Amino acid sequence: MITKIGREKLQEFVAGLMKSGRLFAPVKEGKGTNFKLITDPQSVTLDFYNTIQSPKAVLFPQSEDLVNYNISHDGIASEPAPIDDGSRIILGVRPCDVQSFEIMDRLFNGSGIVDPYWSARRSNLTIIAYAFDRADPVDFYNAFGITGSDEQGSDILMVRDTNSFLFKAFTDKGTKLLETMPFLEKGTADDEKRMTEIVDKGRDIATRTLDTAEIHKRLAGIFDSPYWEEAAAACLNCGVCTYVCPTCHCFDIQDETLFGEGSRRKIWDSCMFSDFTLHASGHNPRTKKSQRLRQRINHKFSYYVENFGIISCVGCGRCTRSCPVNIDILTVVEEAR
Amino acid sequence: MENPYIPMPVTVDKIFIEVDTKEIKTFRLAFVNKTDEERFNYRPGQFAELSIYGKGESPIGIASSPTDKGYVEFTVQKAGIVTSELHDLEEGAQIGLRGPLGNSWPLEFLEGKNIVIVGGGFAFTTLRSLANFMLNDEQRSRFGKIVMIYGARTPGLLCYKPELKAWEDRSDMETFVTVDKGDNNWKGREGFVPTVCKQVAPSSENAVAVICGPPVMIRFTLPVFFELGFSKENILTSLEMKMKCGFGKCGRCNVGHKYVCKDGPVFSLAELENLSREY
Repeated sequence: MITKIGREKLQEFVAGLMKSGRLFAPVKEGKGTNFKLITDPQSVTLDFYNTIQSPKAVLFPQSEDLVNYNISHDGIASEPAPIDDGSRIILGVRPCDVQSFEIMDRLFNGSGIVDPYWSARRSNLTIIAYAFDRADPVDFYNAFGITGSDEQGSDILMVRDTNSFLFKAFTDKGTKLLETMPFLEKGTADDEKRMTEIVDKGRDIATRTLDTAEIHKRLAGIFDSPYWEEAAAACLNCGVCTYVCPTCHCFDIQDETLFGEGSRRKIWDSCMFSDFTLHASGHNPRTKKSQRLRQRINHKFSYYVENFGIISCVGCGRCTRSCPVNIDILTVVEEAR
Repeated sequence: MENPYIPMPVTVDKIFIEVDTKEIKTFRLAFVNKTDEERFNYRPGQFAELSIYGKGESPIGIASSPTDKGYVEFTVQKAGIVTSELHDLEEGAQIGLRGPLGNSWPLEFLEGKNIVIVGGGFAFTTLRSLANFMLNDEQRSRFGKIVMIYGARTPGLLCYKPELKAWEDRSDMETFVTVDKGDNNWKGREGFVPTVCKQVAPSSENAVAVICGPPVMIRFTLPVFFELGFSKENILTSLEMKMKCGFGKCGRCNVGHKYVCKDGPVFSLAELENLSREY
């Protein structure tokens, strides 16, 4: 069943979603758009191509307290910080980004010791995907079999029609959420047709692509190649690629204390930084930027494939768009031979 | 579900100063909660994160043997922020412990075999755990001959001195302690570990060599063992890496697609040959 809402009623829809859980949705910020926790329905925009930052922070915040402690003359008192696991709704996630959640699940939720922070929030997440209606020349999600209007992994798929937004639920969670929105109109036969047309159009959006066959073996084979020096020559090791990436998951654990009050935090880290692997002894296995760029590429296109059977990249194009020296991950992988 | 990021409280029960420079100390930790102690089932070769709130955590190999009951020991070199703070602690202090983490010395694989333990300097801690485990009355019969070769730069830098003496006196193992350079009081062996390995020439027949030490020692020791006929599958070592989470999520301790924290720290030479040389 299709439901719809007029574009002018978007705020009502947003306000309705806010009643069902904490809502994260795109908000204009400077020259771009980012997912934010919504407190004002008016702040939400659905007029954007894709957000600058990926939606990963909804499940994996940039900084999160693990333990709060107090250091005094009497000793140290500590208390685990409660896991913020309330129900979350995320509106307007592009289909390629939806896939990033599934990729991260394999690490945080599906192997070895489960990460309780990711896991608790993941099971309480409702995803409203938002189909692309055009392609940015940088994107390459087609390389991973993802199209511009895939519903895979989402609870609801939303598309934009001329004067309205159309919704189709794909899970019970999605169906139930839409049922709680009394002002959504039931779609007509015409709307059904429009939805199919728009989804089909989304499936036909052509992005750049990449031959991913045996890619992990190809990369393993050129580990010692001078190619990496060349590929990383312009790299500033600023780390922006890892911060905007929907699948970069590396983090640090740090204690921050002020006047005895403090917390141990899990915070995003980046393999682009030289201290990422710096031992206390001074030894560092990755002193050169070429080694660090090689690590980032290999982690996504080789090691992750070996460990989890999937490439840890969704072709969203964020790293390429954000890179200050125009390093394009697709080109780096393509030319790695 | 237990939260794997939250340390268990432990008390520093005893501190042993191992070396004359006082830069290496062994911390004997006792669990504050009995349930934590029961849950902390470890094997020789595993490590744990030592935690001091306000300073951070540091991954350290477990130096005691699981056969030692009521405590767990860590031998720590003063190096960074956490280990320096540890070195300033006094007995009775409370810290945190997260673990046990990592794989271990492969006890089932070692069973029934002759074991050659080679250690250098401070990289001897989990070998000491393994040795004490194998030498335990209930475990000793599971293993064949035990040869131990351990060296340090100077006599003062040898760790676990009382134990070295006891091992030398045991009839069910052969112990060779050496120093690069002795002093006036030193009556023992002098010579680098690789040289002593060559002199002792342990048989590779049904044997596994377990080797930990500084890179330079490893580099010169390996050819000796190859010459003695040890295969790469039968030479084991333990790697060190910068770590944070300790269970394969935080992404920093990988060598190729293996994570030293969860796939290691113990690897055979054959396994390491299949990984990129980035450690």
